[in-house]
Amino acid sequence: MAVASPPVRRRIDRLERIWAERPGVLGWLTTVDHKRIGLLYFWTTLVFFAAGGAEALAMRTQLSQPEEKAIGPATYDQLMTMHGVTMIFFFIIPMTTGAFGNYLVPLMIGARDMAFPRVNALSYWIFLGSGIFIYSSFLIHSAPDAGWFDYVPLALKRYDGGLNIDFYALGLIFNAVSSTVASVNMIVTIFRLRAPGMSWNRMPLFCFAMLAASLSLLLALPALVLDCVFLELQRKVGFHFFDVAHGGSPLLWQHLFWFFGHPEVYIIVLPAFGIATSIIPTFARRKMVAFPLVAMAELLVAFIGFGVWAHHMFATGISSSVLVLFGAASMMVVIPSTIQVYAWLVTVNLGTPIFRAPLLFIGGFITFFVLGGLSGIMFAAIPLDQATTDTYFVVAHFHFIIFGAAVFPLLGGIYYWFPKVTGRMYDERLAIASFWVTFVGTALTFFPMHIVGLLGMTRRVYTYQHGLGWGIYNLLETIGGYILAAGLLMIAGNIAWSMRRGIPSGRDPFNGGTLEWATSSPPPHYNFAVIPTVRSAYPNWDEEDRENDLLRLEDDELVLSTGHETPLSTVNDAALDRVAEMPPESPWPIVVAFAVSIAFALVLTTHYVAAAAFFAAAVAAVGAWNLNEPEEA
Amino acid sequence: MTTSAATTYDLGHARPNGWWAMVLFVAGETTLFLMLFATYFYLRLQSRHWPPPGVDKPAVLVPSLLTAALVATSFAMQRAWRNGRLLNRVAALRWLALAGIVQGGYLIWQVHDFVDACHKEPPSHSAYSSIHLTMLAIDHLHVFLGILLTAWLLMRFATRITPYRLRTLQATAFYWHAVNVITVVVLLVDLSPHVG
Repeated sequence: MAVASPPVRRRIDRLERIWAERPGVLGWLTTVDHKRIGLLYFWTTLVFFAAGGAEALAMRTQLSQPEEKAIGPATYDQLMTMHGVTMIFFFIIPMTTGAFGNYLVPLMIGARDMAFPRVNALSYWIFLGSGIFIYSSFLIHSAPDAGWFDYVPLALKRYDGGLNIDFYALGLIFNAVSSTVASVNMIVTIFRLRAPGMSWNRMPLFCFAMLAASLSLLLALPALVLDCVFLELQRKVGFHFFDVAHGGSPLLWQHLFWFFGHPEVYIIVLPAFGIATSIIPTFARRKMVAFPLVAMAELLVAFIGFGVWAHHMFATGISSSVLVLFGAASMMVVIPSTIQVYAWLVTVNLGTPIFRAPLLFIGGFITFFVLGGLSGIMFAAIPLDQATTDTYFVVAHFHFIIFGAAVFPLLGGIYYWFPKVTGRMYDERLAIASFWVTFVGTALTFFPMHIVGLLGMTRRVYTYQHGLGWGIYNLLETIGGYILAAGLLMIAGNIAWSMRRGIPSGRDPFNGGTLEWATSSPPPHYNFAVIPTVRSAYPNWDEEDRENDLLRLEDDELVLSTGHETPLSTVNDAALDRVAEMPPESPWPIVVAFAVSIAFALVLTTHYVAAAAFFAAAVAAVGAWNLNEPEEA
Repeated sequence: MTTSAATTYDLGHARPNGWWAMVLFVAGETTLFLMLFATYFYLRLQSRHWPPPGVDKPAVLVPSLLTAALVATSFAMQRAWRNGRLLNRVAALRWLALAGIVQGGYLIWQVHDFVDACHKEPPSHSAYSSIHLTMLAIDHLHVFLGILLTAWLLMRFATRITPYRLRTLQATAFYWHAVNVITVVVLLVDLSPHVG
């Protein structure tokens, strides 16, 4: 930026003063800044990722050879269940929607914060509370132990009498509160806070992916919540939802669970698509091919995801005509997925790609997504699905998708936006090395699972006998697991080192096309000194518009330096509607989350009256929070 | 913008953020109820007798009248919103109070009947009792949530109207319309054993 004139300097100083938050720990506890909340999500989910990874390594060590005795069956069950629960509910979803979504979406759409900043903080603190709640189960050796899908009747009191399943059901209900609140906030932010001119056809594909994922979360989670409510009512109060003797049905659990569980796969993968569509144009140095088709495909994947839940239940004995319908619906998912794969590949092919670490991770993502997708299509063939149900072939498929297709873009995204968040560059050579180690580790861990699955090894077993021909594959998988862990540690080391020692990155080291690159690195509290105007889907490549931003800053046009304000726009065309005052930092979100956390702990221990009192306290705290009304502009 | 001479507030052309948030919240709630209805009929399909022998079919007259009264509060909420929009605070407050009284009366009566039903056919009796009572309980819970919102608005409108409060009223009125539609469907599902 050219040297700022005194009036501009004064405006920027005023913005600094208005948007700055309290320093120190108290500032983090009361923050409503989307960037700080995004970072809180990031570091917290990394801790959960480490825990989930350690659980995976412990399982792989146990399975490295036949009749290994590293851990016993009860511990194995708990580690297996918590590995799945952690990776899905406490790592990937909060990392994508909470960390990446929170930090990047307001920047990409040219806003100063999320639509509901205090609610944003609440969603983080409730997420943290739910994580602590469910992990505290390890302290009393009662971690959930019936698999991440928690099938009944195994999960009923009769077969699992401890608190293990109660931790699971209550923990997921608790966690769903956070995800629901976060989804509503994300959708309203995308609807209403887009910079003037950012109509739907100019919105970044990353934001389309976040929109699709948030809509899916909002509409899928109620099924899981209801399922867990039914389970708790049956376990604690003696209701009969899943009990055949009293007119219930165990399959009811599966229907409701997979009505959530299958969209869940797309909730996990869609943000990864969004990251890919951010990284590819930057490093291919051209706009995304078939932009509107890719945007529609992202939304279509989310929509179709709601119609295929029973393909997880092909071996449960439901009627053939139903199976055929769900098999056909499962095939349909291929169409929007393929549109995107072609668009990614053609964009790279037509561009002049620079294969830096973020793009390499996207290459890894496409490889694993196609491989995992091909085995996914195989499951739509009902006989093959029935033959491979509950074998390691299924484990191989979903790990190629969930780790290869969902986590690889996250790792690429960490490198890609690292300079934006920290203002420093990562070490490129170490980043490329870490990609190859992670890629080899992933392939070696999960590819042999296809073979061992076809050889008949069932999933969820804590050991196996000699002479079955499974030993060598399991040993390879375990070696792969440790290589994969080494790759991830290299990434962590690179980040840790570069945060302190990396060379300054400047505002836009990669010449990215979206608006987050139009502001300084790291971004100031107020994100943009002047609210940008948008005339294309890659506004940072519109040099004239960005130069006009400087002129508008001189003219005090949409600088909004007199209050804690952000503009609101119309939903379809993103025309400027009005200016809204945003609430300042607040202690109430953490107070509400604390009261809710205690209430859930009391429900777990069947102190219902005390729990009701804490829920009432949470409601009262929400009331107190709303006493402080933002003054209207 | 908020001077005493104003006859209304400039709330912008687009629907406010709070209204959108409420629409999305209701979308999530609607999914929850759709899952409840699906569960109800799924369990019904598994059973030869619905309700099981020894359990009475649900009463028709009183729940229908109560639901009709609750639905009428949509009109009161809409009137409150319209008066609030015109900055007619006292009239808005009266309509809100009327709505709140009916909503509160509805809930008290329904909870009384619910407790009675729990004694007659405990939820541990059968899958029918379990889903029947759970569906009603969740419906009553979301009516209770609406009453909390109405009570909150009554407190806030007792002093003055602000754009923030007006937007809360707009969102709450929408919530009540949705609650009423859902409650009608809950009633129909609950009464479905009467039609075969």
